[in-house]
Amino acid sequence: MKYQCLSAIALLGISLTIGSGCKKSFLEGSPVGEELQSTYYTSPSEALAGLVAVYHNLDIETASVGDGSYSNKLGPLNSAGDECYAGGGSSTDMNSWQAWNTNTQTSALDPGWDFWDIDYQGIYRANLMLQVLAKGTVPGLSSALQSRYVAECQFLRAYFYFELVRLFKNIPLTLQPLTPSDMYAQVQVADTAVYSQIETDLNAAIPVLPPTVVQAELGRVTQGAAEALLGKVILYENNTGRMTDAAAALDKVYSSGLYSLMPNFADIFSPANKFNSESIFEIQHTSTQDAGYGNWGNIQGNVYVAMTGPRSYNGPIYWGQGWSFNPIIPAFANFMYGDPRYGVTVANIDSIVTASGGTVSYTAGYANTGLFINKFAPLNQWVNNTAGDPHLNFPNDYIEIRLADVYLMEAEALVRGGGSAPSGLTAQNFLDMVRARVGLASIPATLANIYNERRLELATEGHRWYDLVRTGQAASALAFKGYKDGTNNILPIPLAELNNTKLVQNPGY
Amino acid sequence: MKELFKRLMPFFLLAVWSTAADAQSQRITGSVTDERGTPVPHASVVAKGSNKGTTTDEKGNFSLTVSNSVHTITISSINFQSQDVPVTGGSISIILKVDASTLQDVIFVGYGTQKKSNVTGAIASVKAADLDDMPIQRLEDALKGRTAGVTVVAASGQPGSSDPAIFIRGITSINGSTPLYVVDGMPVDGGIDYLNSADIESIEVLKDAASAAIYGTKAAAGVILVTTKTGKAGSMKVNYNGYYGTQAPARELSLTNATQYATLRNESSLAAGNGLVFPNTNLGTGTNWQDAIFNKHAKIENHEISFSGGSDKSTFNASLGYYLQDGIVATEISNYKRFTVRVNGTHKIKSWLTFGENVAYAYIRNQAPFSENGYFGGPLASAINLDPTTPVVETDQTVIATNPTYANNASLLIRNGAGNPYGISQYVGQEMSNPVAYVQTQLGNYGWSDKVVGNAFVEIEPIKGLKIRSNIGTDLAFWGSNSFTPLYFLSATVNNTSTNNYTRGFNRANNWVYTNTATYSRRINEHSFSILAGYESENLSQQFGSTLTYLGIPATTFSEASMNYSVPTASTNGYGYENQPYTIASAFGRVTYDYDGRYLFTGIVRRDGSSHFGTNNVYATFPSASIGWNPTREIFWHSNRIVTDLKIRAGYGINGNDNLGPFQYESVIAGAGSYTFNNNANSTLVTGYAPQTIANPSLKWEQTSQADIGLDASLFHDISVTFDWFKKKTSGMLMQVAIPGYVGATSEPWGNVASMYNEGEELQIGYHKKIGSFSVDWSGNVSHIENKVTNLGATAYIVGQTFQASAYEVSRTEIGHPFASFYGFKTLGVFQNQAQINSYVDSKGNILQPNAAPGDFKFAHLSGGLGPIGAKDRTFLGNPLPTWTFGTTLSLGYKGFDVKAFAQGVGGNKIFSELRRLDIPAANYSTAYLKRWTGPGTTNDFPRLIDGDPNGNFSNPSNFYLQDGTYFRLKTLQLGYTVPVKLSRQGGIDKMRVYIAGNNLLTLTHYDGFDPELGGGLLGIDRGVYPQARSYMVGANITF
Repeated sequence: MKYQCLSAIALLGISLTIGSGCKKSFLEGSPVGEELQSTYYTSPSEALAGLVAVYHNLDIETASVGDGSYSNKLGPLNSAGDECYAGGGSSTDMNSWQAWNTNTQTSALDPGWDFWDIDYQGIYRANLMLQVLAKGTVPGLSSALQSRYVAECQFLRAYFYFELVRLFKNIPLTLQPLTPSDMYAQVQVADTAVYSQIETDLNAAIPVLPPTVVQAELGRVTQGAAEALLGKVILYENNTGRMTDAAAALDKVYSSGLYSLMPNFADIFSPANKFNSESIFEIQHTSTQDAGYGNWGNIQGNVYVAMTGPRSYNGPIYWGQGWSFNPIIPAFANFMYGDPRYGVTVANIDSIVTASGGTVSYTAGYANTGLFINKFAPLNQWVNNTAGDPHLNFPNDYIEIRLADVYLMEAEALVRGGGSAPSGLTAQNFLDMVRARVGLASIPATLANIYNERRLELATEGHRWYDLVRTGQAASALAFKGYKDGTNNILPIPLAELNNTKLVQNPGY
Repeated sequence: MKELFKRLMPFFLLAVWSTAADAQSQRITGSVTDERGTPVPHASVVAKGSNKGTTTDEKGNFSLTVSNSVHTITISSINFQSQDVPVTGGSISIILKVDASTLQDVIFVGYGTQKKSNVTGAIASVKAADLDDMPIQRLEDALKGRTAGVTVVAASGQPGSSDPAIFIRGITSINGSTPLYVVDGMPVDGGIDYLNSADIESIEVLKDAASAAIYGTKAAAGVILVTTKTGKAGSMKVNYNGYYGTQAPARELSLTNATQYATLRNESSLAAGNGLVFPNTNLGTGTNWQDAIFNKHAKIENHEISFSGGSDKSTFNASLGYYLQDGIVATEISNYKRFTVRVNGTHKIKSWLTFGENVAYAYIRNQAPFSENGYFGGPLASAINLDPTTPVVETDQTVIATNPTYANNASLLIRNGAGNPYGISQYVGQEMSNPVAYVQTQLGNYGWSDKVVGNAFVEIEPIKGLKIRSNIGTDLAFWGSNSFTPLYFLSATVNNTSTNNYTRGFNRANNWVYTNTATYSRRINEHSFSILAGYESENLSQQFGSTLTYLGIPATTFSEASMNYSVPTASTNGYGYENQPYTIASAFGRVTYDYDGRYLFTGIVRRDGSSHFGTNNVYATFPSASIGWNPTREIFWHSNRIVTDLKIRAGYGINGNDNLGPFQYESVIAGAGSYTFNNNANSTLVTGYAPQTIANPSLKWEQTSQADIGLDASLFHDISVTFDWFKKKTSGMLMQVAIPGYVGATSEPWGNVASMYNEGEELQIGYHKKIGSFSVDWSGNVSHIENKVTNLGATAYIVGQTFQASAYEVSRTEIGHPFASFYGFKTLGVFQNQAQINSYVDSKGNILQPNAAPGDFKFAHLSGGLGPIGAKDRTFLGNPLPTWTFGTTLSLGYKGFDVKAFAQGVGGNKIFSELRRLDIPAANYSTAYLKRWTGPGTTNDFPRLIDGDPNGNFSNPSNFYLQDGTYFRLKTLQLGYTVPVKLSRQGGIDKMRVYIAGNNLLTLTHYDGFDPELGGGLLGIDRGVYPQARSYMVGANITF
């Protein structure tokens, strides 16, 4: 009996040991053939890959989020402004652009949907990386790189929020990745809170970001970009009392001595001159991806270039398979006509057709004017015909902030805030430099002249609609597009965002 | 210790006897047999009014010496009704009657057994005796119609078809409702097809949560416990059980013949403004493609031989089984073979130490290279859709030489023995092809599996009543396929003209479970209790596989194909996979208590940790409690002949389901888009990586809570009744959650969102009576269930099955409706003239069906809004799942003859019959199309035919396609004869029974397809299901 009991206890003991010994590690298997969030970000290359994912959201030409269609920024913004119509193949081609063109956007047909989803995805990724990097536990990552990555994420988060707050004004502000428990509880905050956070991020990033980057890193954010963006943000906050702050930030770009205006205006936009001396913050594209439609959601060519080209065009210089979006409004062309920048800005295809005596032709798209965007025109020399689809592989960049823009913003800030810049330059100096580059004489640095200069200098680069709204000119300038002041100055919150959330629709929508 | 007790017993009895001998005593002797005259050993014989008793020996004899004051003795034995017998002097012959109530049965309850009379949960049980002599082809069929509340829907009649869908008390979850199978304590993955039905001792279905809670996180959809036979001490027995039979389709579809087809095609083409397709419609009957592929003499056979026996130290049961079933469709490529071996043993090494093992091996080889319920090609779909004007074999040499379809592909055509090519349809294309020729391209290809399921245990009993058991089980499966695709040309789309290929796939899975339990049971006066405590660890992740293809080997048929041919590396391709980790660790306990068999209680708790659960919820606890009351044992109960036994029970419990993928609580890192750096000449794309979704560390099990109230009664000794009411709620069902865009995740994370409930009633009645040489056994059951979805989170509905090329789905899951309800348009008859179309307008006067012409369906304008009729005008059209299931078994015996009949059926469901391919205008028609609308007043039920179908008469899913799915089927009818024992013993045979049987002899249904029992996987959708065969068999059951 004693022996039996001992055996029993021994058996029980052995089995308990095996069972409990297994227990903890037993339930914590690690995945095979894939990485999990909880175990990722443990090497410098993984940290960089996380950062690149944030950069990716700077420019998504074809979105797998939002409405899932083409999602570049210039298309809708140019459709909204007074420079272009939406155009395209028909009145329903890129429906949400058409809606913004006529100010008939609704929550369900919202040109802002792509901005919303892409920017918030970028914010989530930036928040995540900031959370990862705040722990300071990426093995092998130097502290210098670690701080630089933090600064880049701060810059990018600021950039995304800046876009959102300008477009929607009333948005939720999240600085941490949301969790399933709090994802539906977010509320919209005052736009001042968003602006304040943007400034905080940029101010934190500026001292850490490198003034310049090595060639292999071209495209990465620099100090100058953050300073320029900070100045731009403060300017957009439209607080006269802070115009000197704006000018001070913008002036740092000037005084850094790292940038200069390109001598030839036309050279600014050529893929041959990427990251030229005038470029402060540039969103890059490539023709080397050989992207096809299978790459949807991750196309690194500039699709907007293909979209603006003339349709079924048969002639010199321009590639023939464009989709005729954003034809230039004749009134705007007439306004520009005579300016030295006109030819760089407007491609008058009709005049080429006429001059050719019948050898050049194209098919008129919807709302055709015969006038096409030239800064992003699909030139034959940049077509990738080797692989993929040529529509998806133009290498043209968007120069998000360039020096001429900074000069004009600083001139505006100086005029509105009074006084001169820390560098000692005046609004007049900055305006003159911009005009002098294209051989124009000085004119008085009045607010009206500066705004006029912006319109000429920065046409079709995606600034016009924002400028019109922030300067209060939209109601009159966009009346012909049905613009309703007080409503159409911001976009509706996308419908899908209102399901199950605490978000409130913007007034008038 | 028992041995010791047994040895001491005679002395003890001697002592008793010696004291009794002093008084006036009498000696009572007798024998106990059952109704068939078989001795009943170990029956208890107790003198009423004294505490004296004995038990019968192996031959059923007993001898008892008691005082003269004893006038009555009580005889009782498990499974028999107790009997009081007056003491008459001399030898008494007692015939015990089987207890119809079966309340004395012992049933398996998970990690142990319980007397049925003490069970407080809802457990259905099918015993070996119910299955003996029944030619069951799949073990799951043993549950169909025999257990109330268990719905078994065969996937199809294909031999070795996919596992049937089994719903225990309805659809438990939107994520699958497959119950947990536990075979001899081993949770088994991938169905129980590997089991041989002759090896089965019993199958228990734990239906309610109170019983199933012992299996915790695996038990939400119910648990099926399978126990295999063990040997019995005594002389060695050999048992042979086998049958041989032939099968044929029970029904053919009624399709149009060549003349009818040509007429309809012309009409449809002309209506669309196209020309005549068949200038001459007088084409005779043409080809009946069903006849071309159906086998009316398909073989089925089954042989099982088992050996059992042992001593009081060691018992064993070993068996061999062989099962072969030829398919009734395209038999050459549709058949199934299974070979099984099993060895079960129990060894009493010491009186307190027992060791046992169950090991089963099964080899399965089957051919099933086409879909069992699909319209994308294969012989059955082709036979339904191919035009009858195409000949099976083209013999017209002019056609062969001049028709480009034949002439251009002469070397690739499949030809018959005479060298003539099989006919190629000039009208019906897509995936459809000559099914007879198709068979030739698939010859030899097969799938295989080797499966070993085994467990071994050690049990010790250190003190009386305490049993400690350690069990390790493993389920090891290898499976794969072997196929050769030759060069062939069956049609412009069904062909392989470039290179042949030979593919072999290989997979391995190994699950193991390690279980330790301690059970202590004791009876103190009127109080009986038992305590079970255990823990278990389970590893379910060991699966991997690979597939390799050789292209362009020098072979033209499967039999010539080999991987020994060397091919260039560029002509090989392969892929592999392996599973993510999946482990479960659990602790569990059960307490049962009864007071005098009157008041019963069972409490269960199980705590499961699963690697599938989120880090916040690694462990889940599943409690349950159930109570029972047996008023017939109360003092106040007046014993009567009407209610001889009664138990009322109620239980409540919570179960779970960890049926979610690995690491879904986490976020997988994946490529998140790239970005371009460097200048243009050197621009480099760098790929970014980001989480795919938002981690949900709180992700947890789906939870099913269930209340059950039931009763078990025995009436007039002969009738047993079991009734249950239940309500089962499933909450926190896993769904991908729609998240706001501002969260920023790429894809939707999983969350515990949806809920549904099932509520129902079950009734099971049994009747057993023996009058002289005549015996009757009847049992019947009926169950009713209602399913309703109550929450889907932010999701409005879940799209169910799609409908061919239509943008409209056939079924959807939406709040307030049963799971996967049929959804579509409602027809309001056929427009007889243009005036009717013109007057069918919305509130603004717009014509609602602008594309309609006379003869087209009028669809109900359900939205009431502005026209035209469209997506918003659809509605719920019916339930694909039966709300009623019923079954009945009747067994009659007279002397050596017996008749057994088993029938089952379902009701309350609809079948969506979409046999015809709508994207093939020339597809053959059902003869129902002959009743189409051909002019005003011809019909209001069937629309006109027109190519392109502009009104969507056929392409809109509507109630037009729905039929009543109710059926009642005589599943088995058997006539048997048992050779009298006296006669068979002369040949050394203990028992010999021969029988003839028929399966699926009669089906009562309104459904006009092959078979109303269909769509286990597709839930009530018939896309040309492989029908169940009608079969006739002769069989024998011999024991010696």
